[in-house]
Amino acid sequence: MKFRGLRLLLVVGLMYLLLFFYDEAKMSVAVKKAAMLFGELMLIFPLVIVVMALITYYVDPRKIASHLGEESGLRGWMIALSAGIISHGPMYAWYPMLEDLIKHGLKKGLIATFFYARSIKIPLLPIMVAYFGFGFTLILTLYILLASVIQGLLIDQICGRSKKCDLEE
Amino acid sequence: MKQNSKKISFRKSLKRSALSFASMMPMILSIVGLMGLFQAMVSKELLASLFTGDPVKDTLIGTVAGGIAVGQALVSYILGGELLEQGISIYAVTAFILAWVTLGIVQLPLEAEVLGLRFTIYRNILAFISTILVSIGTVWTIGVIG
Repeated sequence: MKFRGLRLLLVVGLMYLLLFFYDEAKMSVAVKKAAMLFGELMLIFPLVIVVMALITYYVDPRKIASHLGEESGLRGWMIALSAGIISHGPMYAWYPMLEDLIKHGLKKGLIATFFYARSIKIPLLPIMVAYFGFGFTLILTLYILLASVIQGLLIDQICGRSKKCDLEE
Repeated sequence: MKQNSKKISFRKSLKRSALSFASMMPMILSIVGLMGLFQAMVSKELLASLFTGDPVKDTLIGTVAGGIAVGQALVSYILGGELLEQGISIYAVTAFILAWVTLGIVQLPLEAEVLGLRFTIYRNILAFISTILVSIGTVWTIGVIG
């Protein structure tokens, strides 16, 4: 198994070491914050792993391609928008699943749509309404949905024709 | 027999998913580490001090600041509310809270590693521009509707 990001991890480790000598208290805070974030991730990772396994086991790769591939059409956009809105946790928790889906034909535009639609956090909508008002929240949400699809279409235009965004580059 | 082979296959796919995650752990730990550093070094007061009072500049500053900031989306709402009370324009605050959840400088290395460098660059540029346009559009629409 090839581990990815070992060099970056080393660099980050050195940064913590430098901070330890410069400001031990801040380093301690950083470690606590990082530990809390990691703890939150550990709650989400099992879910993502199981979802990935279920998709691999139950879903025919040809179906992934037809629902989320080049010919997926409106259905693909609706799935990407819905998945983005429903998905939980940080963006990077979903990268492994997306990488897997790309291998099965997921088109890049839908990834862009998924990521931008994630900015709609249903559990936090009441809080946004409390701070900024119902009208603001509604208009912002609608524009986010529109922008999500437009980004997806543009990414497909940029990446699709010339295959400029393939993973093997 | 078919049922048994199916069970083994699901275990295999579970193992494969878990291994795929495990291979990314150094990268994920790096991102988490960077986020911890950011949260320790950059206070809310520091973020708030970046804004100048000029709506045009602040919209850009809000997008950049939100893109660099890390943490729960809820924190951005609270901070955004405080910025509004301090007189920072609604354009800037909208850009800030939207960029907070749509952009992420800290996780760019992992995104590039997993989804490809070119895709990552294009997606983030589009997300940056969209954030500014959505912020302007939202505030303008609210202004028109009243």
